[in-house]
Amino acid sequence: MEETNETLCLGIDLGTSRSSVSASNGERHVIDSYVGWPVDMVARKLVKKPVMVGREALDNRPMLDLRRPLERGVMKDGSEKDQEAVQEILRHLISLAGIKQKGKNKARVRAVVGVPAEAFRVSRQNLRNALEGIADSVMLVSEPFAVAYGLEALLHALVIDIGAGTADFCVMQGRYPTDEDQKTLPNAGDSIDEQLMKLVRERHPEAKFSIHMIREWKENSSFVGERKDRLMVSVPIKGKETQVDITSEMRAACESILPPVSETMIALLTKVEPEFQSKVRNNVIIAGGSSLISGLPEALSKALDELGGGRATVVHDPVFAGSDGSLAIARDASTSDWEKLSL
Amino acid sequence: MASIDDTKAQLLRGVVQDNIDVLQGVRTRPLIRRKGRLQLWFWAGSLATTVFAFSMLSSYLISRGSAPPRSDAAVSPAAAVLNIDFTPESEVPLSHPRPINREAIPLAIKTIVIDPGHGGEPGAISESGVTEKEITLDVALRLRRLLENGPFEVLLTRESDRRLSLDQRVAFANEHKADLFLSIHVNWMEPHTIRALETYYVGPTDDPATLKLATRENKDSAYALSDYKQILEKIYVDARRDESRTLAKTIQSRLFRSLKPKNPLLQNRGVKTAPFVVLIGTQMPAVLVEISSLSNEGDVELLTKMDYRENIALALLEGIRGYANGFKAFDVKGR
Repeated sequence: MEETNETLCLGIDLGTSRSSVSASNGERHVIDSYVGWPVDMVARKLVKKPVMVGREALDNRPMLDLRRPLERGVMKDGSEKDQEAVQEILRHLISLAGIKQKGKNKARVRAVVGVPAEAFRVSRQNLRNALEGIADSVMLVSEPFAVAYGLEALLHALVIDIGAGTADFCVMQGRYPTDEDQKTLPNAGDSIDEQLMKLVRERHPEAKFSIHMIREWKENSSFVGERKDRLMVSVPIKGKETQVDITSEMRAACESILPPVSETMIALLTKVEPEFQSKVRNNVIIAGGSSLISGLPEALSKALDELGGGRATVVHDPVFAGSDGSLAIARDASTSDWEKLSL
Repeated sequence: MASIDDTKAQLLRGVVQDNIDVLQGVRTRPLIRRKGRLQLWFWAGSLATTVFAFSMLSSYLISRGSAPPRSDAAVSPAAAVLNIDFTPESEVPLSHPRPINREAIPLAIKTIVIDPGHGGEPGAISESGVTEKEITLDVALRLRRLLENGPFEVLLTRESDRRLSLDQRVAFANEHKADLFLSIHVNWMEPHTIRALETYYVGPTDDPATLKLATRENKDSAYALSDYKQILEKIYVDARRDESRTLAKTIQSRLFRSLKPKNPLLQNRGVKTAPFVVLIGTQMPAVLVEISSLSNEGDVELLTKMDYRENIALALLEGIRGYANGFKAFDVKGR
């Protein structure tokens, strides 16, 4: 449907690893949260662009000063280059959404951006600042809250949004969540990567691999619990391409987040009013890129047995659940609300 | 039951208000007490993700020992991490705190919370058996009496020998919307020949002795490690630090000036920063003062004398008054 007015609503899930945008004009896009600038004039000539964003930046990384500017779900602090990189990601997402950012008929952009549940106040302020000149009005919301809002899981639900940088928890009890209802853990996709890197290096000290390869292996084959076949990956050993078995390492790395996530889930559930605990236990919703780990909902459901049983399910569209939820908030907010939050 | 649209409308109001709070720089919400099983995992997570957080928090949140260290050999397990380098404040890549402009915001000191350290458990104990909890309560009660002659409302976190966790003390001050928080403690120092006064306000430190002290004084914290982010934010981004520093300087100078004639060997160790939980969690200018050393029997002898304790209380009163008068001057000017 063609956008007929000048105002566009955006939901943005600015993720440590991937960022997605859902726009009121129907556009939905996801990119890798990488930005790169050519390292010198030669590189500039080769890549033919002053800056590259997303997969393009990753693919051309040898020629780029590559940045992954988000850390644990928020902008890295203290580096102007990283702040600039976040702005590039935001501009890129907005351009992908087909929004005209310059000129006479420049669209009015109202953006809702997801941040970790326990993001610092300064981090939120930094993000707002980064959006100046990119959006006209901005709201920042906790990521799991955005997911819950989008799914209309507003009552008796626990949303666990497991991304790369953080695992964010939010108990929905029909009211705006307080600090008591929300939690952020640093045990998420990146910690799995670090663990996997360490374990594979220990088992195959002669193998050469990078963090990007580790991430790719994880994104293709992550799992918890049992796996029928062996997980083999190809790595150079002394220059020769060699197949190595990383089944046990992948399992151990992925399962490393299970105890903290389970414990936090249980701790939050036990704080829910006793008469509603059963309902919430049976409505645990997992979102975020790391929710795609095979066997994760079953493992978390099993953890709920300790409390008398429950059910954890993965959202239908983990990649866009956050940005879709943010878009729903953007659409539902009134003009007067938006005016209060102009940049 | 509310319709889904009503619920959404209510949630949206919350979202908007939350964002307005950020825009207006409203203080972060108070630290929330966490209990139980979360703690280990948050610690593990913190450990894995930030050595900095580890080095700071482990120094004051892990230790749960019950007695003060009597020698280097008796240092608690947490002290093992004290050698981890601290990032100096100036190198911490977070926003710089902005000082409160007293002229722009005329403030006044109305409510003062005095926190007698320890209670229930003894705190430090001198060789002759004098306990920190007794001294701190005695001085606090004296100080309250003196302060109540002025225009202040004075509240004590404890008025008897009862145990209070550190976050209960913090919550007490925050709930009563105190304008000033003073935590009174008595030090235990190595070597025992040292007689020293120290006043602390919130901030990081790389001084092993200060970390050791913070470890000891923080042992009753009920904050979970999950709160580390807010804690770090508070340490580095809180404009209240400037006021706390001013308060600490005023108290330290009055205390030293007053006690030195009666205790000639007393050393002025000055104003320092340390990550004491009671200073981090409180939302008002807050200081922790170590009024003497129970490790030094000379100091202990003085502390057992009523007039010396009264002198300490008087010096603290002067310090608080001196600080409060600064506000009063601007208050008058601002009207």
